[in-house]
Amino acid sequence: MTHLAIRGLTKRFSGQTEAAVADLNLEIESGSLVALLGPSGCGKTTTMKMVAGLLEPTAGDILFDEKSIINIAPERRGAVMVFQNYLLFPYMTIAQNVGYGLKIRKVDRAIIDQRVSEILEMVRLPGIESRRPSELSGGQQQRVALARALVVEPRLLLLDEPLSNLDAHLRFELRDLIRDIQQKMGITTVFVTHDQEEAVVLADKVALILDGRLRQYADADVFYKRPADEATARFFGGQNFISGTSANGTFEAALGSLKLPSDAPEGTGILTFRPENVRIGAAADGENTLQAKLTDKIFLGTQTRLKLAVGDDIITAIANPNDVEGYLVDQEVPLSLPPATLWVLTK
Amino acid sequence: MKWERVRIPLMLGPTMAIITILFFGSLGFGFLQSLGYQPQIGNTGFSLDAYYAVMFSERSASQFWPGLALTLWVASASTFISAALAVGLSLLLRRTFFGKKLAVFLFQLNLPIPHLVIAVGMLLLFAQSGLVARFAGELGIIDAPRDFPVLTRDPYGLGIILAYIWKEVAFFGIIVMAVLQSLGEDYEAVAQSLGANRWQRFRTVTLPLIMPGLMSASIIVFAFTFGTYEVPRILGVQHPKMLPVLALEYFLNPDLNARAEGMALSIIIAVIVFALVFLYMYVSARTVRKS
Repeated sequence: MTHLAIRGLTKRFSGQTEAAVADLNLEIESGSLVALLGPSGCGKTTTMKMVAGLLEPTAGDILFDEKSIINIAPERRGAVMVFQNYLLFPYMTIAQNVGYGLKIRKVDRAIIDQRVSEILEMVRLPGIESRRPSELSGGQQQRVALARALVVEPRLLLLDEPLSNLDAHLRFELRDLIRDIQQKMGITTVFVTHDQEEAVVLADKVALILDGRLRQYADADVFYKRPADEATARFFGGQNFISGTSANGTFEAALGSLKLPSDAPEGTGILTFRPENVRIGAAADGENTLQAKLTDKIFLGTQTRLKLAVGDDIITAIANPNDVEGYLVDQEVPLSLPPATLWVLTK
Repeated sequence: MKWERVRIPLMLGPTMAIITILFFGSLGFGFLQSLGYQPQIGNTGFSLDAYYAVMFSERSASQFWPGLALTLWVASASTFISAALAVGLSLLLRRTFFGKKLAVFLFQLNLPIPHLVIAVGMLLLFAQSGLVARFAGELGIIDAPRDFPVLTRDPYGLGIILAYIWKEVAFFGIIVMAVLQSLGEDYEAVAQSLGANRWQRFRTVTLPLIMPGLMSASIIVFAFTFGTYEVPRILGVQHPKMLPVLALEYFLNPDLNARAEGMALSIIIAVIVFALVFLYMYVSARTVRKS
């Protein structure tokens, strides 16, 4: 159980004008599971490698339990990293791979064998000790890589895109496994992902990094309800952005006046709301009801996406296909935007 | 479909024919000569006399066995030291530093230089009358050039080993650097993250990963240094002589009867190299099976 603090962490690679990671600050509670989320090249793996000690920061500090570890060699930090492409040693058996960290620590052979068996049991791969990495599927290899990291009981477990090389059903399976083991062992865990769904489902808290900067660090639901800025909202699937002014609990825009939640920021800004929170047709009642014209309707299987014009503004809505089955393009449709689902992004 | 099946063998045919004729033809011809078959001087019978003469006759045995020992020593030492140096230098050159491109260029500069030039260069530099000895004398490090250690034309083949190292480090380096580049540093990062220090990472991760490439290169270098005569001819002593030099001398002997012994010695060299290569392949295959 280790508390991780990242203070002003910056990484600038030689020959590059922009910092890969810029002035990153993060507090990760002991025993929690945190996702570093962001698109490819945003600096999340760079951040993780700096925490592991595999990359030297240009500036800033990293603290484990309030003690700086910036000058401690990676092999003595106790931060074990699991890589995206498993990286099991191909010339070793599974038992040798899993027991590697213990052997390096000169642990007694009998204890290594016992710990290896226990940990393989934990990752639900019992009895594969004598097999070779090449004989395992991708999902099995990733579980072995996880076991190899867990067996040394690290202070901090760092998972770099642990699920991205796996197909859908394996991803779900391993996601649950990681969560279960993390809860059971209570190891402070940081994982990197570009998949927002994975971050939301798996993590206690999510840190969104865009262009090397931390945009928002919060519980997963906050990113949907109270995004920090337009880029954050867009990253989480936000599609509705309407310019106007927020004052006295009301948002004034070209499409009319809309009632806001009581904690909405005031001033010139952008109104945002999620497509799934737009109520349409019979469901549209109460406050913030508007008359719109249906301009586009796309069936997505389990959902239907609708484009609705209110004056010059286009609102995107997502609805249950059964609820909007009868609506036709160019038809007038009532919609409502419940105040609690609205948020204002001030500049 | 039928055409597809024969297309590749047909395309490879001409090249394979040339290789087969040149390799097996010369080997076969050499083998026949080693058995005493030389119709041009009237010898049409077959015997193992030349082999016996080379290994056990009073005249040749005193040359053969010390020569074999020296050849094994020179080939093994050259191969091992070149491989070790190349691994160390390749690992250093993998790091990022100012002037890295120049360092890599210098490291590989030896590759196109012929062995003969390297041998002559060794002589000019490291002989007791060579440049290094003269400089050492001028600088007062040694009293006179003759005090300089005997590094060329010495009975232990030190000059020969140095020349081979000078040349083969670059060859090993190209292979090791290519392997290291294709592997990247992630495996070592995993080991480091799991607690392995620099030496443990090298011993348990880097070395096993580069070993297949290193062993293949070692076989080539060992076979080459065991069977080639230019460098030992220039840098070696009269006794003991390395086996390829002995074979050459037999072959160049004006007495055509000695050619059978030269060929017998060449066949012995080939058999030893083949035997050692097969032994290596057997041992490595067994090790893989066992592990």
